[in-house]
Amino acid sequence: MMLPIISVKNFSKSFGNIKAVADLNLDVEKGELFGLIGPDGAGKTTTIRTLVTLIPPDSGQLFVNNLDVSKHLREIRSITGYMPQRFSLYPDLSVNQNLNFFANLFEVPKKEIPERKKRLFQFSNLEPFSKRLAGRLSGGMKQKLALSCTLIHNPLVLILDEPTTGVDPVSRNEFWIILKELKSEGVTILVSTPYMDEALKCDRIAIMHEGSILAQGKPDALTGRIENNIYKLTGIDLINHIDSIAKMPDIISVQSFGNSLHLTFPKNIPVEKIIEDIKQILKQNFILKQTEPSIEDLFIALVEGKNHNGK
Amino acid sequence: MRQILYLVQKEFRQIFRDKAMLRIIFIVPLIQILVLGNAITTDVKNIKIVIQDQDKTPYSRELILQFVHCKYFKTIGFEDNYTNLSDCLASGKANLAIVIPKHFQRHIVLNKKPDVQILVDGVDGNYAGVALGYATDILQKYQERLISSTPYLGFYAKNIHRVEKAPMFWYNPNLESKPYIVPGLIAILLLIITMFLTSMGIVREKEIGTLEQLMVTPIRSYQLVLGKVIPFSILGIVVINIAMGFIYLIFGIAVKGSLLFMVFESLIFIISTLGLGIFISTISETQQQALFMAWFTMICFILLSGFFFPIANMPYVIQKITLLNPLRYFIIILREIYLKGTSIKDLIPETLSLVAFGACLFIAAIIRFRKKIG
Repeated sequence: MMLPIISVKNFSKSFGNIKAVADLNLDVEKGELFGLIGPDGAGKTTTIRTLVTLIPPDSGQLFVNNLDVSKHLREIRSITGYMPQRFSLYPDLSVNQNLNFFANLFEVPKKEIPERKKRLFQFSNLEPFSKRLAGRLSGGMKQKLALSCTLIHNPLVLILDEPTTGVDPVSRNEFWIILKELKSEGVTILVSTPYMDEALKCDRIAIMHEGSILAQGKPDALTGRIENNIYKLTGIDLINHIDSIAKMPDIISVQSFGNSLHLTFPKNIPVEKIIEDIKQILKQNFILKQTEPSIEDLFIALVEGKNHNGK
Repeated sequence: MRQILYLVQKEFRQIFRDKAMLRIIFIVPLIQILVLGNAITTDVKNIKIVIQDQDKTPYSRELILQFVHCKYFKTIGFEDNYTNLSDCLASGKANLAIVIPKHFQRHIVLNKKPDVQILVDGVDGNYAGVALGYATDILQKYQERLISSTPYLGFYAKNIHRVEKAPMFWYNPNLESKPYIVPGLIAILLLIITMFLTSMGIVREKEIGTLEQLMVTPIRSYQLVLGKVIPFSILGIVVINIAMGFIYLIFGIAVKGSLLFMVFESLIFIISTLGLGIFISTISETQQQALFMAWFTMICFILLSGFFFPIANMPYVIQKITLLNPLRYFIIILREIYLKGTSIKDLIPETLSLVAFGACLFIAAIIRFRKKIG
């Protein structure tokens, strides 16, 4: 039977008494850019580290390209590129030396190394810095070098653990452009991120929370699933009124998004009623507009739904 | 094979890039040899003595002269008061006191038994023993002169079959401590470089996260270990050869035996220390922890190796414990090669012990390393 390129079935993993991942199921198809979305402690890193054979699963089956992670460690390692959360290349070796080192460890044929480096330099723009020590690169450049080192052996699957955490917004954007390019070359990419806005850049996502997946699918399909109205409230000094707005009878949840608030309320409540209620709290002008639900709204709705069911 | 080669190359690049570390690796041994080689001395010289002569006769003065002229003793004064004399010992002004009682001469002349009291500061037992030995030697020589110069006794003395001792110390004729200490220093140098650098090197990769990056490459854990261990072994062997050069230049002590044999034994010894280094790396998360563990191990090894204190002087149980210390065997081997030029056939038990320890430690370390990391 042909499995998807990454297939996780009933995967569980605990550390002592802490259940990191519970009964997780996940499929990533060949050529997909798949996002694991969730806050810190959701179990993203545990899932990823198990997939790249660094830790064994407690139970369940995980396959990468039809290879079982608990049996074919070396085979999986040679077809995957893994970039851990922390930048981890040799700071006291130069860009070039780092690339050569990993190329040799992955047994890239000697003749092919210069050509592959050239290709990687094309997207990373690191060629002018090839003699610089890795420790002296900027954060964004380090990130690109780390990615280059994980790509030097032309992996079938690229697995990235929070690659954009702690990277400036410009470099983050560049990084996602590079990922798109790689995807267009046919590389399957599994990427985890705590940034909800990055989810929209993925083909499919899985939203993780407390060790399990709350929802999985195409980002817009998932947000379309939200059954409540989401309205965006803009005005002055809204932050001070969050509590009183949240206490309004029909409001399910209030979230602040920069200077505005996202209000969630059931579809059967007319907007006019909400406006009346807000008028009583805010003695000033405000704008209330229906908005497309974001991944963050979805996440909140899912978590609250889960908590609600739990009660 | 190719992967090991690149791991080794990477390790050397890192060693040579870190100028501070490089200085430590090459300059510290030099300082260690210079300072410790001179400082660690069990030679007993310049024993300070104070003399009380209650007799004040030609015979007693004759005896005192023997002490004053002896190169091992330094007379710091004469005391007539017994309390002052004991004060000299208590305050450390003198290490040894000689009391010649009244009627010393009379007892000799009347063929009675003359007494001489020797008081020794016994805090450092080893030192006290050696000092007392020198003092009794002088007394014995004095007695012999007395016998041969006594008219009728001298005649008999010539015809008595007395056994005379004529000691001769081989391999280290002047009983200097430097030739004894120096091979030990080389052993410790090798211990430090291989054990410390290996454990720190692995833990450092853990700290900066590169170990995780290495783990997801298809290299096997034995390749990873060899890639770490080979560079530090080479470094260790190079450093001890430099150290031996320094020792020859500074102290004029050269290796009597075969240099090749010494390197061979060093390589066997290194298996143990590298094993320990790897083991320490598996139980440490930070370089500080590794350093502390390595330091602790090193101190135990040195104290129980016979480097400072002869193993024969230790309590029975401790003596048995030293049998578990690879450094003990290696120091014996090095001293034998360095001072006597002993060849392998006389060092087989020690060599085999080292091989056994090395194999056990290294295999245990690798198993633990694989379990923790591989």
